[in-house]
Amino acid sequence: MGSADPFNRLVKLAARAFYDDITTKGENQQKTGRSDNRGIAVVVLDTLTKRQWVREEDLAKDLKLHTKQLRRTLRFFEEEKLVTRDHRKETAKGAKVYNAAVAATGDSQQTGREGDDKQKMHVHSYCCLDYAQIYDVVRYRLHRMKKKLKDELESKNTIQEYVCPNCGKRYTALDALQLVSPYDEYFHCESCNGVLVAESDKLAIQDLGDGDDNARKHRHDKIKDMLSKMEVQLKPLIDQLARVKDLPIPEYGNLQAWEARAHASGRSANGDLTASDPSKSSQGFGFGGTPMPYVGETKVGLLRNFFHFSCEVEVAFSGIGEKGEMVKSETPMKVLPPWMIKDGMNLTKEQRGETKAETKTDSTLTAPEVSDDKKSSTVNDEKKSIQDEYVKAYYAALLMRQREQEETMNRPEPANTISNEDYYTTTERQVGMKSKRDEDHEGDDVNWEEAGPTTGGQTRQFKVDLNEEAEASEEEDDIDWEEG
Amino acid sequence: MFFHMVLERNMQLHPRHFGRDLRDKLVAKLMKDVEGTCSGHHGFIVAITGIESVGKGRIRDGTGFVVFPVKYQCVVFRPFKGEILEAVVTMVNKMGFFAEAGPVQIFVSNHLIPDDMEFQPGDIPNYTTSDGSVKIQKESEVRLKIIGTRVDATEIFCIGTIKDDFLGVISDPGANS
Ligand SMILES: [Zn+2]
Repeated sequence: MGSADPFNRLVKLAARAFYDDITTKGENQQKTGRSDNRGIAVVVLDTLTKRQWVREEDLAKDLKLHTKQLRRTLRFFEEEKLVTRDHRKETAKGAKVYNAAVAATGDSQQTGREGDDKQKMHVHSYCCLDYAQIYDVVRYRLHRMKKKLKDELESKNTIQEYVCPNCGKRYTALDALQLVSPYDEYFHCESCNGVLVAESDKLAIQDLGDGDDNARKHRHDKIKDMLSKMEVQLKPLIDQLARVKDLPIPEYGNLQAWEARAHASGRSANGDLTASDPSKSSQGFGFGGTPMPYVGETKVGLLRNFFHFSCEVEVAFSGIGEKGEMVKSETPMKVLPPWMIKDGMNLTKEQRGETKAETKTDSTLTAPEVSDDKKSSTVNDEKKSIQDEYVKAYYAALLMRQREQEETMNRPEPANTISNEDYYTTTERQVGMKSKRDEDHEGDDVNWEEAGPTTGGQTRQFKVDLNEEAEASEEEDDIDWEEG
Repeated sequence: MFFHMVLERNMQLHPRHFGRDLRDKLVAKLMKDVEGTCSGHHGFIVAITGIESVGKGRIRDGTGFVVFPVKYQCVVFRPFKGEILEAVVTMVNKMGFFAEAGPVQIFVSNHLIPDDMEFQPGDIPNYTTSDGSVKIQKESEVRLKIIGTRVDATEIFCIGTIKDDFLGVISDPGANS
C-alpha cells in the first residue's frame, strides 16, 4: 500500500473545488439559514482522509453530525463515486472485530465506545474513500468541464439560427424541414419567401441585429474567461493529479479484507499495544482525568477547530497524515507552497494584504501547537503529567485563538481552498481529551456559516456550469423508459 | 434508442367483425393503426410484439361500434440528444444536408459539417473535401450525433452534427462509380 498522503491531498483539493457548496437536505426541509449545511461535504471528506474504513455512526459522533445528515452526505458521495460503503448486520462481537482493526491502524480515539454496543443485531454501515475511483472521477470531471466550455467556444453542438433579411423572422435548424424549397439550394422564409441567412453570417447584414450579436460576443468572452479562470484556479488540483499519476493507489480493499489485514498488521507492528489499549487511555483520561474547566473535547475540538481554521487560512497541509504512524513523524510546519498563495489571492488584490496579515497571526498562534504536537506523540507512552501539561498549553493557545478569532470574525475571510485543520485534528486525536465546553462558542458556528458562502463564491462559477452539464446530459426524458 | 414498452389504446371495432376471430381482427387493426406512427411522448412505434390484455368491450350509444381497451407490448424508437446514429443522406443543399435514420429525419447544417468540406452544386449536389477523398451526397451513409430534437405531438425532428471524432461518411456511394 502506497502512502495515502498525495491522494489525501487530492481528495481535499477536489473537495474544495467541487463539493464546497453542496447542500444535502431532506425533502421536507426548506432552505433556511440554519439548515444551510454547505461545507459539511468538505468536512466529511477531510475526515475520511484521516480514516480508512470507518463506521458511519462513529464518524457522525466524531463530527458531531446527525447520523441522518451524515448518511445523506455519504450517499451523495457514494453516487459521486468518491466513497465506497458497506452495510452489514452484526452483533457486538462483529463490531469488536472492526474496533480492533481500527485500533490496529492507530486510528485509536474513536474506538472508545465498545461498551456501548449491546448484544443485538444491528445493521452497521461503514464507509471508506475509494482512491482509485476518485482519481478517475476527478480527471473525468475536469475533462468534461473543459470539453463543454471548448465545445461551446467552437460553437459545436449549437443549433444554427437563420434570419429572414426581409421581415426579420427567425428560424432555427429545427425548422429546416419546413424551410427547404424544391427550387433552389436555400431556405426560404415561410411568410415572405425571402432567402434566409444563417445567423453566423449575419455580421455582413448589419441593420438586422437587435443587439443580439453583442450578447453572443459577450457570452463568448465570458466562456473564454471562464476557461482561463478554470485553468488558473484548478491548477493545484491538476498539478496534484499529475503528481499522483504514477504513484501506487492506496487500496484498502473491502471491509472484511481490510479488517483482517489491519488486525494482522496491528498485532505485529505495535505488539505492546493491545487492541483495547488506546481506547482505554483516551477514555480513561476523558472521564477520570483532571477535570479542566475548558478542555477542548476530542471531537468537539476537532470540529470546532475545523471551523476556526478553515476560515483562518493556510498553514497548509503539514505532512501529518491520516494514521497514527504518520503523526509520530512530526513534520515541521511547511512553508506555504506558492501555488496555494496564488489560489488564495486569485480573487482581488486587496485581499492579498488581508491574507498576509492573517497568515501572520496564524503562524504566531500555531507556534505553541507545534511543540504540542511533539508532546502528543509521547502521550502514547501514557505520561499523565505530560498530558496535563499539554492540556494546559493547548487550552491557553485555544483561548488566545478564540480571542483572536472574535476580532477577525466580522472581517470577510479570503476564500482559501486549503485549511490546516488536519494538522490540528491529528494532534488532538492523539491526546484524546474530553470536556464539556459546548455552549460557549456559538460564535464559531456563526463564523463558519459566514465563511461557507465566501468560499463558495470563488468557485461558484464552475459549479454552476457543472450542474448544467450534468443536467444537459440527461435532460428531456421525463418519460419512464424501459430499455428493450 | 429503442425501447420495449407497454402501451394502451382504445380500439373501436365495427360490429361486422364480431365473431370467433374477433380477437385476431382486433390485433390486425391495432397493428395497422399503430405501427409506424409517432407520438412525441414515446417516439416511433416500430413494431407490436405482443398483446398484454384485451379489456371488456363497451358498446357505444347510438352506433353498433364497440370499444376495447387493448394493452400491447411494442418496440419504440426515440432519438435522444447526444445519441449517435447512422443515417442515409436524402438531400443535400447549400444549407446542409438531410438524412434519415429509419423513421427519423435529421438535418445537419453546414456549420456542423467539417470545415474542410465544401459544398459543390450541380446535378448531384454534395459536400467534398478539398482533396476529393470524402464526399457526402444523396444516398451516402453517415454516422452523426444528434444535438437537438424537436418533439411535436406527432413528429420528431432532429438536428445533428458530423463535426466530431469518428463521425461522418461511413460508406460512400460515389466511391465505386
Ligand atoms: Zn421573411
